[in-house]
Amino acid sequence: MEISDLIEPRAVMANVRAANKKQALQEIARRASEVTGEPERAIFDVLIERERLGTTGVGSGIAIPHGKLAALKRLYGVFARLETAIDFESIDGQPVDLVFLLLAPAGAGADHLKALARVSRLLRDRAVCEKLRGSDNAEALYALLTENTASHAA
Amino acid sequence: MHFGAEFILIGSALVVVAIIAGMFSSRLGAPLLLVFLGLGMLAGEDGPGGIEFSDFHTTYLVGSIALAIILFDGGLRTPRSVLRIALWPALSLATVGVVVTSGVAAAIAVYALEMTPPQGFLVGATVASTDAAAVFILLHARGTEIARRVSATLELESGINDPMAIFLTIVAVQWLLQPHAALSMETALYFVVQMGGGAIIGGLGGYALLQVINRVEIAAGLYPILAAAGALIIFAGAQIVDASGFLAVYLAGLVLGNNRHRADAVISRFHDGLAWLAQIIMFLVLGLLVTPRELFSGFGGEVILAVTLILIARPLAVWLSLIPFRFSWQEKAFIAWVGLRGAVPIFLASIPVIAGVPDGTLYFNVAFVVVLFSLVIQGWTVSRAARVLGLELPPPPEVPDRQDIELPQTVDREAAGWNVAPASPALSHPFTSLPLPKRTKVIAVIREGALLNRGTLDRLQVDDYVLALVPPEQVIALDTLFSTPVQRQRRLMPAELGEFVFEADVKLGQVCAMYGVPFEPLDHGQTLAEFIHGRIGENVVVGDRVKIGEVELIVRALQKDRISKVGLEVEPEAERLPILRFWRRIKGLLRSEAA
Repeated sequence: MEISDLIEPRAVMANVRAANKKQALQEIARRASEVTGEPERAIFDVLIERERLGTTGVGSGIAIPHGKLAALKRLYGVFARLETAIDFESIDGQPVDLVFLLLAPAGAGADHLKALARVSRLLRDRAVCEKLRGSDNAEALYALLTENTASHAA
Repeated sequence: MHFGAEFILIGSALVVVAIIAGMFSSRLGAPLLLVFLGLGMLAGEDGPGGIEFSDFHTTYLVGSIALAIILFDGGLRTPRSVLRIALWPALSLATVGVVVTSGVAAAIAVYALEMTPPQGFLVGATVASTDAAAVFILLHARGTEIARRVSATLELESGINDPMAIFLTIVAVQWLLQPHAALSMETALYFVVQMGGGAIIGGLGGYALLQVINRVEIAAGLYPILAAAGALIIFAGAQIVDASGFLAVYLAGLVLGNNRHRADAVISRFHDGLAWLAQIIMFLVLGLLVTPRELFSGFGGEVILAVTLILIARPLAVWLSLIPFRFSWQEKAFIAWVGLRGAVPIFLASIPVIAGVPDGTLYFNVAFVVVLFSLVIQGWTVSRAARVLGLELPPPPEVPDRQDIELPQTVDREAAGWNVAPASPALSHPFTSLPLPKRTKVIAVIREGALLNRGTLDRLQVDDYVLALVPPEQVIALDTLFSTPVQRQRRLMPAELGEFVFEADVKLGQVCAMYGVPFEPLDHGQTLAEFIHGRIGENVVVGDRVKIGEVELIVRALQKDRISKVGLEVEPEAERLPILRFWRRIKGLLRSEAA
């Protein structure tokens, strides 16, 4: 499972403006809707449903919201770099400015977990996060997200 | 009058040097006790100090008092929560574990040191117990936070396994002196008197001491002295009637420490210091007593014993003792590794000398080598072992460098100032786009005593003083923003407690459905907390894991003994644990070599 299997260039957002968690999820759900062809509202509802069980803000300014959508054919990722960090009720209380959204089809048990683990491991790398924060260009962000794939595969 | 002045000068100077050397050593991560022992050796006859000291009787006396004080302090500092979590496994390690360790060590000694079985048995007995202080210091070393159940077990074990080792040593000495009288009914009776008597005298004595402390009205500074003298009375009283004074004094500490009593803070602070002093003196004296020249005579066999004790005897003993209990293999491996030997084996090895066993100093030297090896090899690697086995917990956040400023009650935001710490997250953002929580405003930035113009400020620097208005619930977010990140402070990632966090009252069925994890239909309606308590029992600790399908549920936070937050680990163990990753890499290498 590689990041490049999850995300395509148009699924990367470089400068998302959002005042709070809800707005951020809305913005990202809109892009996810364009990428997957699924209704924006359904995506947003799945994400909110998931946040209700516990935050997906994993700390150090990172959030990995995720959920399942019955109609999807495969896993889809959307990455967003927020212009200003927002409160995400994260584990460590720190505001979030890097968001990796992951949507999985209903039956994607093991793949869903692998993808989550992969994304989480990528964003646990401080050097990668610093580079992501320092770039405001979608293409550059896409390259950063996927270039590290090889070195983290081991 | 110079009478005694030289002795006082040398003694106190040694203590001061030990304390200062200890301070430097902890910066280097060297085991503190090793430093004390080394200083004693340096001051001794073969070192530059050149002090001639070979009085085993004095050593035994000093060692007894020091050990009694250290054990009393250990009891004082053992809270009920540790007993609840770890009593049975620790008791098993302190009895079965000590017997197995000494048995295996005895066998090794017979072969490696060419001893007779009774001699081997004596060697095994002296090196069988782990050191309370060494274990405690290492487990609580700065920056190491180890899974609670494991650290509690190790601490408690080290506090209660000395009596067993002492008993075995005395039996072994008697066996050597009177080969025909050993292992009779008398020995069994002696065991009952030692342990039973020690327990009764310790319990009752501790309770009596508690009563005395709570009833008498004396100057506050006298309470700790009263406690110390009381502890020594209990110790010596038990020893005189052939009961185990070491067990008694530890239990007395437990009783006192776990009941409300006067001058609590003064007593525990004083005893903390006193136990340190006892530790320093004991190691200095033992270091002085040894003759390094003799130590290196039959070195080979002693080294084999020291190494096999670490690699075979202790692991076997831990494995056997912990069969009835629920420990993961990583936890058992760590407990086996932290079988630190400290002053006790050396102290115990002075008994055969005093008792007049032929070749008495031989045992002393063997014990010394074993302890040296243990302190160097295990002492130096404890935190690394915890990391490799994934038993480290994320450290509690450091106290941030923040000053709160009083504002009138009517203001709903707080004012506070922060010193920007090295490598803090704030440094990686331009000043204008600092990730500030909502309703938070920086009102001033002061650099080198001068107020900066916020309009033209590009980036914060280390040691800038930032004054901000912040809603009370967001203060912690700013603490994080301006402090050195925890991982950075320690140059390592703590073992994760699961990427994603759930409230403990979320239904198991919901989580499993979301991640495609199979579960028993019966468990469907349970909350995560109920499920974990059901699997582990009532006594859970942060870091406890329950595997379910491909994922693990991890206890992240507790509130009054009930689980309040649960982490979900989506990455399998083989990816997560450094040791398993390492192993897979080696296997991969071997395979590619073969191909």
